[in-house]
Amino acid sequence: MPDQDHKCTCSEQPLVPTIVEVIDIIDRTPDVKSFFVRNVDGNGVPFQVAPGQCGMVSHLPIGEAMISCTWQEEQEYLEFAIKRVGLLTDELHQIEVGQKIGVRGPYGNGFPVDACKGRDMVFIAGGIGLAPLRSFIKYCFKNRADYGKITILYGSRSKADLCFKEELFELWPQETNTEVFVTIDNAQADWDGHVGFVPSYMEEVNPSSQGAIAVVCGPPIMIKFVLQSLEKMGYNDDQVITTLEMRMKCGIGKCGRCNIGSEFICLDGPVYYLKQLRDLPPEW
Amino acid sequence: MKVLSKAKLEAALNKLSDRNEVFVPMQKGQQSGYFTWKSFENGQDELMLDALNVYQSPKNAVLPQTEKMYSIKSQGVEVNIDQTYEDAHPTIIFGARGCDVKGIIAMDDVFLTRGYEDSFYKARRSGNTIIANACYEPGANCFCNAMEVNSLEPVGADVILRDAGDGYVWEVKSDKGEAVTALIADLLEEKEAKLPEVKPFIQKVDYSGVAEKLKSMFDHPLWDKLSQPCINCGMCTYVCPSCYCFDIQVKMWGEEGYRFRAWDSCMFEEYSREAGGGNPRGASKERFRQRFLHKLEFFKERYGTPLCTGCGRCIIVCPTDINIVRIIDAVKEAEINA
Repeated sequence: MPDQDHKCTCSEQPLVPTIVEVIDIIDRTPDVKSFFVRNVDGNGVPFQVAPGQCGMVSHLPIGEAMISCTWQEEQEYLEFAIKRVGLLTDELHQIEVGQKIGVRGPYGNGFPVDACKGRDMVFIAGGIGLAPLRSFIKYCFKNRADYGKITILYGSRSKADLCFKEELFELWPQETNTEVFVTIDNAQADWDGHVGFVPSYMEEVNPSSQGAIAVVCGPPIMIKFVLQSLEKMGYNDDQVITTLEMRMKCGIGKCGRCNIGSEFICLDGPVYYLKQLRDLPPEW
Repeated sequence: MKVLSKAKLEAALNKLSDRNEVFVPMQKGQQSGYFTWKSFENGQDELMLDALNVYQSPKNAVLPQTEKMYSIKSQGVEVNIDQTYEDAHPTIIFGARGCDVKGIIAMDDVFLTRGYEDSFYKARRSGNTIIANACYEPGANCFCNAMEVNSLEPVGADVILRDAGDGYVWEVKSDKGEAVTALIADLLEEKEAKLPEVKPFIQKVDYSGVAEKLKSMFDHPLWDKLSQPCINCGMCTYVCPSCYCFDIQVKMWGEEGYRFRAWDSCMFEEYSREAGGGNPRGASKERFRQRFLHKLEFFKERYGTPLCTGCGRCIIVCPTDINIVRIIDAVKEAEINA
């Protein structure tokens, strides 16, 4: 909802990027790379990001786009996992370590990490939708005692398209009181895991709605069916959180295009309880 | 009261232009709009202070159609921003009507509140003074009175002019107004002047309850019918004194260039098209509905006032005869649950 008391910690020139250095690049899938950035003097990060917040990532000669920050490692780096989908991201996928790029932010409200304390957490993601949820998942593990059981349910088109494989298959399953479920859309020879779409797999796994919070992010069609399934499974609208995306240019609620009703997703969102979304026009 | 005699108008504009870029309504060739007094060519251009609304609003003075933001230097892995282009040079909008003043005040809400101040807008606006021209005789397409504008007492004006026949009554409304008044103090006379009679509005528009009613009309079938003629040309947004949406783009020549912003329009398909190809407002109807809901509902919900100022420009320029007054009427008359 419009937040008149939004306390601004941004620069006095919120539309002008800060130049940072790309200190590492990791291929996550054939079309997703993680970019790790740090201040050019090697010292610290350009801004502090809460789980679920975004940064405007700028390859200066080309353009800029709003990207969810998938993780801030203390003052070491910000990590953006970026899928190649268009002009800017095509160019970003060509750059090499050492390249200077621009970032500005942090933008958006982020996940309600405090309000979720003490709850069982169910994270449901599809494709690159795991990138924003990962910031919350890693935050939960970092503050493990603050959260109850953690269930992670993730799917992608194929085995190769699964992001963050090391965490999914090695690190997260080892965490206490944590279950990780992974599925791919279609069977393939080197895959002995679950095959099928996320919503039906979720109904199969059937994580209890008792005291739980479900956090959902993925392609719009997946979100649509997951929300229907969650309702069937007994989740109320105030137990379901999602994070939206719209085209954005400014990131600060000025340029106009990312509105849904009177909300600007870049500023008032991108994270909403389903209960809040029900009050908005159905453009999400 | 202070009066600027019309015989001294040009002298006043000259004097104000010594230290300010003064935007004045004028006819310039085929165009009418707010152009700088320094560009006025005697014998060719025509001052349009008597006209209610020139074709283009004065929003250009605070939100230029294109505006440089910052420089870019890109060499190999190195990239630098050496310069940003906030521009606070003194400007005066001379003779703006109440509807156009309201357009700028609405943009102040957007660019200067809700957590972030846009440094480029803030700079321009800090140097900007508004000398409004009160309206006594509304035009055929004027309906500002219905849109919470008082064209006799425009809120946000630094000076208000009132046309009293052979001179303008000059009413100072703010410190900025005092400052520009001081520049032409020797041209103002202290005398009585007879103000014109206030004429009634020709357009009868009833906006009361429309924002509230629209809240439950997002999926109403009336949008199909109303949007049918719209060709999404964007003319309405271009001439609108309060349409502020902008795009950010880059221009590079080899290693050097700059990023700039430019007016954008919710009428265009690309405006909300995402990189992956998705578009929440891919259909013409969806963009049409967005524009009118933003004007009549969303902005009021967020900022407490409609984003339409009742200037009537979009009614005049629309090539397919879409008329926001008829849309307000249609919403008023619509049956909900239809």
